[in-house]
Amino acid sequence: MLLNLTDLSDESLQSQIIRQVRAKILAGNLESGISLPSIRGLAKDNRVSVITVQRAYESLMREGLIHSRRRKGFFVSEIKDTDKKELAKQKLLEELERPVRAGAAEGLSKQDILSVIKKILSED
Amino acid sequence: MTKAIEIKEVIKTYPDFKLGPFNLDLEPGKVLAYIGPNGAGKSTTMHCLTGLVEVDQGSMKIFGKENKPDRTDWKFDLGYVGDVHVFYEKWTAEENLKLLKKFYPNWSDSLVNNLADRFRLPLKKKAKDLSSGNRVKLSLILALAHSPKLLLLDEPTSGLDPVARKEVLDTLFEILEDGNRAILYSTHVLSDIERLADELAFLVDGQLIVRNEKDELTESWRRISFQFKGPLAGISSAVSYTADDVDHQIISRNYKDTMHHLQETGAQNIHKTRLSIDEIAVEIMKEKM
Repeated sequence: MLLNLTDLSDESLQSQIIRQVRAKILAGNLESGISLPSIRGLAKDNRVSVITVQRAYESLMREGLIHSRRRKGFFVSEIKDTDKKELAKQKLLEELERPVRAGAAEGLSKQDILSVIKKILSED
Repeated sequence: MTKAIEIKEVIKTYPDFKLGPFNLDLEPGKVLAYIGPNGAGKSTTMHCLTGLVEVDQGSMKIFGKENKPDRTDWKFDLGYVGDVHVFYEKWTAEENLKLLKKFYPNWSDSLVNNLADRFRLPLKKKAKDLSSGNRVKLSLILALAHSPKLLLLDEPTSGLDPVARKEVLDTLFEILEDGNRAILYSTHVLSDIERLADELAFLVDGQLIVRNEKDELTESWRRISFQFKGPLAGISSAVSYTADDVDHQIISRNYKDTMHHLQETGAQNIHKTRLSIDEIAVEIMKEKM
């Protein structure tokens, strides 16, 4: 699995891995039951250290997105579509909180902020 | 699990330098970056591990076997690329390889050819005619040809151009995949090993000062800027501090701790950014030098 990782980011390699694998799972690119690359394989393919991938997988396991089976490796967990949506929503909330609050602090009204989000969506 | 390296209470004394007493171990499958200024004792550690010099006290084990100079069994598990590349200068690269082959039952010619191709190393050239980059590559092939379980690399990429450096690092990533190999990699160019290393060990003046998982360090260190009027008492976990009027900037070894402290103090406009492993290393070593 090739991820798009960069050293020129304020986000650590570990959380870049977590975010990109999570996105693949939530978007349905990785279906439940599908096996994930081994920790060492993913580390090699993406030129990151083994521990970085190990910690990223541990975090995804805590989120319930993946699970491991002894000697068989890691697999995408069964996630209900409703749960997927909830997870994605939760994630979006976490990521938007800071910029939205910053915007409000700089004087933007609720309407202004909603219009920015509408603009982002209409650009797709 | 048998450790790839197990160093116990080792001391090595020279007239003007003392390494240790120190303990260090490394698990199979892991890469440990061995970091320190020139003269800290990085190469001495390597020389002790390879049996080139004998320690005054303590013990060193390679995959469970003590590295006694009069025995050879532990040497089969070891590959070493030193700071000096010693070849038979009038012989070709190929002839140098053939000589070493005799000492290693595990030697693989196909691995040699594979690496030579990949590194574009001219095997028919005499060692004395090889460029400094190609000398490093020949050393690496000599060290890797018997598929050692432990690689000791002493600043292996110094003198390499960026393309050659990437080829070497790519090779290291690949040999790690099977999970049984370990690498002790000494360097002061941290950007080289920023991605490869699992753990970092810092050596200053012959003493091991910090040993940490890389991700733990990068997750806890931050540069923090903020504004504050009036005198500031000591800030928790800050290791360096600069100020210009109401603007303050610090480097924190534990940003959560520092942020908490700053919020309680009433600092304004607090911003934090990550630090590169190079920046973190400088701060760690500066403190002890």
